[in-house]
Amino acid sequence: MASDIISLKDVTFNYKGSNRRALDGISLNVKQGECVAILGPTGAGKSTLACVINGTVPRFMDGNLAGEVTVDGLVPAKVGTAQMASRVGLVFGDPDTQLFGMTVEEDVAFGPANLGLDYESIMERVDKSIADMRLAGLERRAPHRLSGGQKQATAIAGVYAMLPKIMVLDEPTSMLDPEGKARVFGIVRMLKEQLGVTVVLIEQEVDDIFGLADQVFVMRSGKFVLHGVPREVFGRVEELRQAGVRVPQIVEFGTLIGAAETPFSIEEAVSAVGRARDAGLGPSPSPASAPTPTPTSTNEAAAQTAARATACLREACKIAQADPVVEAVDVEFTYPSGARALDGVNLAIGRGDLVAIVGQNGAGKTTLTRHFNGLLRPSSGDIRVLGRSAQGVHTIELCRHVGYVFQNPDEQLFCTSVQEELRFGPTNIGADPGATSQRVEEILADIGLTKYREVWPKYLTKGERQRLALASVVAMDPDVLIVDEPTTGLDWVESLQILDYLERLRSEHRKTIVIITHDMNIVSLYARRVVVMAGGRVVGDGTPREIFSQPDLMELACLRRPPIADLSQALWGEVLLTPADAAAKLLASRPTNSGVCSK
Amino acid sequence: MIVEYESKSSAVHRLDPRVKFAWMLAAIVISVMWTHPVYLILLGLTVVGFGLLAGFPWSKIRGVLSFMVIVTAIITLVQGATYVPKTVTLDEPARVLFHMIPGWIPGVGPACSIKVGGFLYGIGMALKVVTVLVVVAIFGYTTSPSEIVQIIARVPFIPYQVGFVMSTAWKFVPVVQMQMRTLMDAHRSKGVDFEQGTFAEKIKKTSGIVLPLFANSLSMADTMALAMESRAFGSSRKFTFIRPYQMDRFDWVVLIGSLGSMVACIALLAVFKLGAL
Repeated sequence: MASDIISLKDVTFNYKGSNRRALDGISLNVKQGECVAILGPTGAGKSTLACVINGTVPRFMDGNLAGEVTVDGLVPAKVGTAQMASRVGLVFGDPDTQLFGMTVEEDVAFGPANLGLDYESIMERVDKSIADMRLAGLERRAPHRLSGGQKQATAIAGVYAMLPKIMVLDEPTSMLDPEGKARVFGIVRMLKEQLGVTVVLIEQEVDDIFGLADQVFVMRSGKFVLHGVPREVFGRVEELRQAGVRVPQIVEFGTLIGAAETPFSIEEAVSAVGRARDAGLGPSPSPASAPTPTPTSTNEAAAQTAARATACLREACKIAQADPVVEAVDVEFTYPSGARALDGVNLAIGRGDLVAIVGQNGAGKTTLTRHFNGLLRPSSGDIRVLGRSAQGVHTIELCRHVGYVFQNPDEQLFCTSVQEELRFGPTNIGADPGATSQRVEEILADIGLTKYREVWPKYLTKGERQRLALASVVAMDPDVLIVDEPTTGLDWVESLQILDYLERLRSEHRKTIVIITHDMNIVSLYARRVVVMAGGRVVGDGTPREIFSQPDLMELACLRRPPIADLSQALWGEVLLTPADAAAKLLASRPTNSGVCSK
Repeated sequence: MIVEYESKSSAVHRLDPRVKFAWMLAAIVISVMWTHPVYLILLGLTVVGFGLLAGFPWSKIRGVLSFMVIVTAIITLVQGATYVPKTVTLDEPARVLFHMIPGWIPGVGPACSIKVGGFLYGIGMALKVVTVLVVVAIFGYTTSPSEIVQIIARVPFIPYQVGFVMSTAWKFVPVVQMQMRTLMDAHRSKGVDFEQGTFAEKIKKTSGIVLPLFANSLSMADTMALAMESRAFGSSRKFTFIRPYQMDRFDWVVLIGSLGSMVACIALLAVFKLGAL
């Protein structure tokens, strides 16, 4: 039996100047060659734990560390950087802050070169790392010219070249598009299965963890609140929800249909459905978890699900044609560097719609939407806002009608208090001070930040900062709200808070919402219309169901549909968007039972 | 940074970084020592030739050069109007070349006389500035920051970390520039018009960017430092460079040519006043 390569006993840690325990009595044992997944909401202490394992806490980050930490027979806090770095590799979420070389080869060599190895040994390691991480052919490429997935693969290769026995990956897919995520998960699988590396994987992508992890730990407020093998942990649906972790879709489906044995994969779910049919077992769905009202019968539910999807597209097209708030007409755009980013885009977005623009990194999503508030101007073609050409209209004028929320909240929070931040935009556009004050109060209550009104935004959590950044644009009362990657770096609960707020703005205030996202779960739950971009063009446009039903389109745009879509396709030959939809469809064959649906 | 490094395979890009540094040093020293515009033009032509060999993107410095034309015109006129140098090549350095306020303007002209010596000296000064600027731009365009680290690391008594930190700071500049552009866009999206208002108002608007820029840069630098620490940066006194440079024939030609020219120019200037105005 393999011995423990990582052993933590009752570890606590407080950052210097903070009374809160970032880690609170953590005990963890990881055997050599195991893959351990750590889940939990933001601020749970996951990154601190990663830094304890490689010794940068407390060597690099001051604070009080107590308890016993042993990693590969060493106490990280007591040994030098080189000793730990050659045993534990740490990879972060943002690849741009961990690439130091001018070429991929140079970057991968950075760690071994720091160890003072000779040239031949370094090149041997570099060649192996590049080959193992599937980066062959990119050796001379500048890291900043790689795709997100390639960048992260380079970062992992750089750490792997130091031949660590342990790799700690701290949300390595948080900033990647679906293709990049798939690449990184492929690498993690290879590290574990072929290269025998012990992996500690901190992640939010629960659907991908099941087949990878040997053990799963769920953290909340510095403590492990749940741990065990994946089947054990993911089967405890209510506890996962309470911990703020998204329940894997297949597991949720199993719970909704009342499966005797919780399914964890599509194959298991198909078998579970077969067994339920054979046995004629009555499912016990949980309508409370469904996001839309329960219909009167399950037959009706299934019919409604299909009908609403079609109606949604018709409605989207109709409102876009009847009352377009923003339009792109034959828009082409080339950056000064010569890179052609948009290639004849035609798109109309109707009032009161919630549109998701999806596609690979570099597909032109952000470039297109930046045209709508005048941050970019088309090289040719026209942008129309509220029926008027935006040509010659100043950004300051356009921003009254089209609000733009940037991906990183820290790039759009400028003031020294939350309420100042909310007043900033309205004051600039000359809004009435009295009305602004009232609006600020309403928005503070809406986003749950009333008690932080005097706080410097930097002191808020990432989720709170994201909500504030969004609200600071909403305060200007624009007709259209464009939100670039609203959920990047947020946990599931925070993501839902943001999207629920956007949906309220749409349904209650008739705002038009345009989100750019890589998160297909969010698209499934909230988007009424999906616009797919690839190579600077719109290559697909329809409801989420329609888009997810086109495998060629998904492949072209490097998208991955949610597992429930694969399951429903396998079961019924049609795509459904949520576990609730799929459960309702199953129950539709049992006329006496009630069911649920969403779109 | 005038022009960012670009990874290419031109003859200049392939040169040993020490040779490129020697070329840059020689060109700067010669341009500083020479004062005669004709000689400086000759030096400028060799620099342009070097740039052409490197495939230097001249269009990228068009903006800077346009600005420099204005600056050099001002330098030339100010020098011409206010300074009469002692020269070795001019018989009458104080001879008036023209008047900035011509004689046909009644009451005030002729006035503001531009003297030959000062005028030529001013042109020389302007040429020096432009030459140094272009030389540094070509060096930056053809030499990667990691090659610069190698140059610094080979200087005795300087730890390689110093060079590495310098090159990382260099690489950080475009990141900060991009961040600044995003912050300005975010301000524009919230109704801030940087073009409107008095000078004081513009300064106030721009200062709104400073705090978030500073805070974000610090946070990014912190993450980078953590990532570097995690890859054993600074753990060993020794750092192995993955490109052990070997001088080939072209390297030697350029090195000897650069340093030889520099020594020859200094000697000829000292003995025969060659290159002096």
